[in-house]
Order: sequence, then C-alpha cells, then structure tokens
Amino acid sequence: MYSNIILPKQWSRFTCFCRSLSSIEGQKLPQSSKSSDGISPPPRIPRSPTDILQALAATVGADPTAAHYKYHDDPYLIPLSNFRKRAYALSAEAGRKAAAWIRDEHAEWFTTREWDPPGKMKTPYFNADPIIDAFAPRPIYNDESKVTEEDLKKTIEHALLDDSIKIFQLLGGVEGVTDNNLKLSFLQLLCFYNEKEPDSLEWLEERWFSANTKDRHAATWKLGGLADKIFASLEQKTPEAYCTVIQGMAKHYQAERAYMLCQEAIEHGIPLSTSVFNTLLGCIGFLKEGTALRIETLKQLLAQMEELGLSPNEETLTSCLRSISAWGGGKVLQKMAQQILSEFRQLGIQPGLSAYYYLLCLFCKERGPRIDILSNILTDLENREKLIPKETTDTNFFITAMGICSDHLQDIDMAERLHALLMKDDNYKLVGDAYKESIYYRHFVTVACRHASFERKTQLLDTLVPNVYVPEPSVMEEIIKTLEVAGAGDRLTQAWSQLVIFGIANRTRLVERLLSAMCSCYEFQTNDIKVKIRDAASEILKFGKLTEEDGKNNNNDRRSPQKRLSADAITNIIELCSDVKDKSDPAWDTISEGLQRLKQTEATGVPTKPQVLADLAQKAASMGKLGIAATALQYLAECGFEEASPASVDTLAVILNRPQQEVETMLQQRSDIERALHPSALAVLDAYYMAKTGAPTRDSGSSTSSDSDSESSSDDE
Amino acid sequence: MNNSLIKLSKSHLSSKSQILPWAAITESHIHTSAPMCRVVSGKYRITKKRDRPLTYEMANPPHYIAHRKTWNSWNTSSLKDGLRRSETVLEDEFIRRFMTGTWHGLMCSEIIVKRQFNHIRVAAIVRRAISPTKMYFLLGYTEELLSNWLQCPVTLELQTVDSFKDVVFKYI
Repeated sequence: MYSNIILPKQWSRFTCFCRSLSSIEGQKLPQSSKSSDGISPPPRIPRSPTDILQALAATVGADPTAAHYKYHDDPYLIPLSNFRKRAYALSAEAGRKAAAWIRDEHAEWFTTREWDPPGKMKTPYFNADPIIDAFAPRPIYNDESKVTEEDLKKTIEHALLDDSIKIFQLLGGVEGVTDNNLKLSFLQLLCFYNEKEPDSLEWLEERWFSANTKDRHAATWKLGGLADKIFASLEQKTPEAYCTVIQGMAKHYQAERAYMLCQEAIEHGIPLSTSVFNTLLGCIGFLKEGTALRIETLKQLLAQMEELGLSPNEETLTSCLRSISAWGGGKVLQKMAQQILSEFRQLGIQPGLSAYYYLLCLFCKERGPRIDILSNILTDLENREKLIPKETTDTNFFITAMGICSDHLQDIDMAERLHALLMKDDNYKLVGDAYKESIYYRHFVTVACRHASFERKTQLLDTLVPNVYVPEPSVMEEIIKTLEVAGAGDRLTQAWSQLVIFGIANRTRLVERLLSAMCSCYEFQTNDIKVKIRDAASEILKFGKLTEEDGKNNNNDRRSPQKRLSADAITNIIELCSDVKDKSDPAWDTISEGLQRLKQTEATGVPTKPQVLADLAQKAASMGKLGIAATALQYLAECGFEEASPASVDTLAVILNRPQQEVETMLQQRSDIERALHPSALAVLDAYYMAKTGAPTRDSGSSTSSDSDSESSSDDE
Repeated sequence: MNNSLIKLSKSHLSSKSQILPWAAITESHIHTSAPMCRVVSGKYRITKKRDRPLTYEMANPPHYIAHRKTWNSWNTSSLKDGLRRSETVLEDEFIRRFMTGTWHGLMCSEIIVKRQFNHIRVAAIVRRAISPTKMYFLLGYTEELLSNWLQCPVTLELQTVDSFKDVVFKYI
C-alpha cells in the first residue's frame, strides 16, 4: 500500500528531472541547425527574475487620481496635504525601523528558520536554503565581540561602515590586519564614504523626504583620519591604493593633498586611472583662485591625461563642466564650456544629464540675458533611446530645466516637452526626491498658470492635484489668479475647500485674494454657482472664527500671532452674501456677523469699498432688516467715510418710503423725523448725525438695541 | 455500528456453545443509544437579552462557508499533495494573535490570512480610534516583524471603520 504512494512520487520526480535535463539541453541547442520537420524554435532570450513583473507593470500606467501606492488605500489613511504625505510615509518607516531594532537587539527571538516542505528538505534541522539575509538579525559588534577577518570582509561587502571600523579596531587596527587586499578594500570603503556611515538603502522614505542639504561644498576630508593611517601603513603602495586615496580626497574637496599625491604618483611612475583625473578635475576650484589660473590648471590636467595615455570618458566631461559652472558666469567660461563640449563630441562622447545640468547652470543665469540652449538639449535627449542615470547629479536636470522654462524662458511649450520627456518610459525616477519633485511641479504649474490655455490648465490641475502634487501657498495664489481671469466661479469655490484640505486656509493673504477673485467674477456666474459662492464666503467667515477660537484655547503653542482677515475681505464677504432676494436667507446671519467684526475692529484696516456697505444698508432697509442697515451706516459714519450721510438719507428714504428731498427737509428738524420713525430705525438717524457732525448726538445706549434686528419692526412698515 | 457488532458477536458466540453462558452478560452490559448530532462549534448562543453583537462572519455558521461567507485562511496546504499543513495552521494562528495583540482593541473583524506564492496578505477591519500617523507606524511595524518571523513578504490590507458598531450585522 505504501509503495503504491511512493512510486508515483518518485516517478514524478524522475520525470521532472528528465524535463529539467531536456530543457537544459534545449538551451544549449544551437539555433542555426534546422530540425528535420522544419520547425526551428526562436533563440532563447535570457531574462532576469523581474522581467515578467516589469513587463506586466508596463501594461498599466500610473493612476494620478489614486494616492501613491506606499499609502494605504483607505479614505482614513490617504494623505491630502504635503505635511500629511510626509508624516504618514515616515511613520510607516519609523514602525519598520522599530521592528528592525527589535530584531537586532533581541536576535534570540528570531532564530527560527522557516522549514521547507518535507519533500524538499535537505538537512533534518536547518533547511530553507539558502538563508535569506534580509530576514536574519544583523550582528551587533561591541568591545566584547570575537571577530575575524571574515567578519570584516562581510561588513565591507555590505558597506556597513561603522561596523567595519569597529571590527577593524577589534582586530588590532592597522597592525592587526595583515591581509593587504582586505586593507585595500577597507580603504576603498572609507574613502568612498569619508568615514561617515551612509544613509541605509533600506530606508527609502527617509532618503526620499530628507532635505538635500548634505552635499556641502567644503573640504570635509578627515585629515589624519583612519583612511590616511591605513594608506601610510601600506608597505607596498599599489596603484589601486594611490587611486583610492586620491579619489577619496578629491571627492571630499581636500584638493591640495590630492593634487600633491597625484604628482607624487606620476613621478614614481605609478599608473593612475581616468576616474582619478575626473575627480581632480571636479575640485580645481578648491586648488586655485581666479578664473584664468583655474582654466590653465584645467587644461594642464587634461594635457596630463593625454600624456599618460588615458582616454577621457563621459564623467570627464561632466566634471569639467561642473568645475566651470561652479566658477561663476561670464562669456569666457561659457565659451570654454562650448569648446570642451564640441571637443568631446568629436571624440564621440555624448554629454549626460549631469553635463547638461551644469551647462544650464552656466548659461541660464537668473538675471542674465535669455539664452535658449534648452531646446537643443531637449531635442538631443528626446532622440535618445533611453535616459540612463549615471551620477547622483543627474536628478538635478529636470528640476533645473523646469525652473528655466518657468522663470528664464517663460515658455509653456518647452515645459510641456520637458514634462513629456520626464513621463516617458521610466524616466520619472530621475525626478530625484520629494523636495525636488515638489519644486519641479511648482515651476511647472506656475508656468502653466501663466502661459497655458485654460483647458490645459484645468486638465493639468485635475491630474496633478492633490495626489501627485499639493500646491504651496505661492502656487495656489497663481492658480486663484488664473481662475479669476477665466471667471471660473465654480472652481473658485472648489479652491476654498482645497485650501482647507491642504491646511493653508489660515494664510490670510491667500484667503483675501480668493475673496476678491470671487467678488470680481461673481456677477458673470449662473444662479446655482452664485449660491455656491455665497456659501463658500460664509464658510470662510466661520472658518476664521473657528481658528481664532482655537488659537485662544491654546495660546501657548502658537508660533506666530494669528493674522485676521482684513476689513476689505470682510466687505467682500458682505458684498457676496448681500445678493439674496429672500429675507429669511441664512446669508443675513453671515452679514450681521461680518458687520459685528467690522464694528468691533476685529478686522485689520478699513474697507476700500465703502459703497458696498452703503448699498447694503439700503438693501437691508428695503427688506426690513433695519438693524443690519443701522450697523452698516454707523460703521461708515464712525470710520468717517463721506458716503455715510448720503447713504443714511437714502436708507431713511427707503424706510419712510418717501422721496429723498422730503427726507432731507425732515432731517432739518430732528424731532419730526424721530416721531415718524420706528425705534429700531433711530440708529440710522444717529448714523446720519454722526456723519454730519462727527460725534454721536444721542447717548449710544439706545443704539445698541438696534444690533439685533427684530422681525416685528419690519411688519410695522 | 455498535448494534451490528453485538449481533456479530452474538452469532459468533452462539456458534460456539461452550461460551453460551457469557451471552447474557454481553447482551445486558453493552448499552447503545442514538448519537447526538448537534453541532456546536462555530455557532454563537442566543443571549437572554438578545444583545450579543455579531459580525456578518460570526452570524453565519460554518456550514455556510463558501455559500454566504468565505474562509478565513486562504492557502493551498489542504489540497492533494499540499505542503506545510501543520506549519501553515500554526503560522496563521500566530499571525492572528500577533495582530490582535499589536492592534490592541482595534480589530473589528476576523483576520483573514491569504497566501499567494511566497507572499502573505493579512486583511482586517480596524477602528479609527488612533490617529492615522500611529496607524501607519503600526502598519510598518507589523509588516516588518511578521516578515522577519515568517521569512517572506507580508502585506497588511486594512480597512477602517468609525466604530465597532459599523461591523455589527445583528444582535442575538
């Protein structure tokens, strides 16, 4: 019975084995020979393990309406503002880091290794071959650790700088390690990272969100550091050792020592590599002062390369241009750069993205003349089959080029071409990090807002905002401006909700801009959009009040004093809200609220459009909202606007339903008109006299009662 | 079956007359009764006040699996020639306990463990009782720790609800 089961198993294994054999053979079969039946299978294409996945991924494009896939797909967990995007991604990574810390600190809890299925087991206990290092706890090295040279080798391989330094010291330092090759590779590691632990590749988000301020252009090389000691201790200084140390010094701007060592090596007849000269070319600025001297040194170095029979490569071109662009601007340098470029072209070396970046830096200065070298560069790049990133500075190209499109050339077509290039294939990885990405889009959206057609603008904003890019306040202002020009009232109301979501609704300047935009295009809108705009306006007022109360509650942790909406903005709100035909419309509440704030001088400044308030008073009076009319007029009178007295006359004319002349004659005799008026309208009268004489005639005790407008008063009229 | 066994033994005994006196003993002492076929596991008892909240998953007894609800563990270990049966069960249980402990008081549903190739996807519904930032921290933490233990990529697929009441299907 048991044999019955086992036999098919073994049989299947045997067939499997046969199949693998035949497939191996099939790979080796030369494809030129035709088989007897005339069928010749195509030659085997070697594939990498992820090729199929990449092919599958290429069939679907990125969906700009969805959040980035690093965020969890749940409404609660999707970030909508820049701050949240950063906070969410980094907290997930913080969790990962916490887990990794537990794994390393408590390695004893992570000793289990998943078992292979019994049929595939190779050893009885430890299987799951090969070990997956990524899941195993990392060893922690301290003073008590027993280490061997093997450990050092391993840590160097994994570029764990701090660990390898620790092991090196445990092994007895310079004297303890005898293997010269090991020493050399350790030296290479030290020189590459300048004895500083690099940011781990494992923590992607941290790298993505880190503000790129680290590449300081200063001599950071540690003089007399471990690298120098190891180099001095090498009894037989091989060419590799020389190359390593010179490159390390030059990379970290210790130019003089590097240059000295280089000359020493040449004197001793030690062969040097092209990359040594490349790095030296990159730090000429630290070696010599003055443009003329620097150019001379540059030429000298290049000549030296030729003497030594070293052929330059793409990197040589990049570092030449890098040096030149760092020396400032001017015709001489620009000419020099063009010369170098054409000479390298003759050698068949095409400039890479970094080289183009430095060229752009050199030619397109902020206040310099407009030089359009970008179109040629773009044509060249568009014709290339693929953009291959080679250096870290390659990621600077797109952001700089877009900045030039926006500020220097102010050309939307060029910007669109550049953006199309970035979106081609997987060029998007060249965008750099979060900081660069947002600057890139800031430039792009700004130039689009200024120069693109309205349809293109809205299409662009709809795809980019908010998942790809959240506009900063300055860009938002630009957007509001374009919406105002286009008279898109509907989008202006949306802009308000976007302001709230993006967390920039407390920027007073922005809100004021939005309100004036709403006002200026209000009259051209259809009725339902008018309603929307009115709602948005009253929301703005409410939001301002909310944040103020919020600020009062936690006064201590407010970094800057809350700016209040200006009187202009509030008049705008009042103007928008006063366009209602219904007496019971909630907009009247907003108006009276706004008037209160004006009166209690909670708003900064005085309105520039007092006519709005004068009109409001008449309108309110005609609808029987005497309180509102009176408050508006009183405010006008208090502020000393000359509109106050004619407006009071007009309002009284409306209240009394008499022609203006008659009202004016009645106003000569105060007691007459007081008798004719309802008590709640007396405040209007006060306002008139205040405007006439400049001081309140009656005690203000009775006028405060008019703040709340009673419905009964309107019934009497 | 018990009955037939007795009959068999009886006939066997009766054929051999010398142990006939034993017959009476066997007959009187083996007691048989009808089996109680009541299935209790995976079902919830009705409370007196009818106030026990049940989620949809709890409200459907096991025999509705694949009819009204699905499995809580998705894997191929129970197929013919399936591998790692016991390990899979143990790991799934470990994942469930780890999740309920780490997301303490937040889990509102059963934890679904789905295995595809070398990838484990863990799905659940959680309450919005903590801030999204903390939730993201826990997400990264859980994924990383579990993948270190199970030595394969682990992905959490969470959905959030406002309160536990949102997942209550009925009260019994």
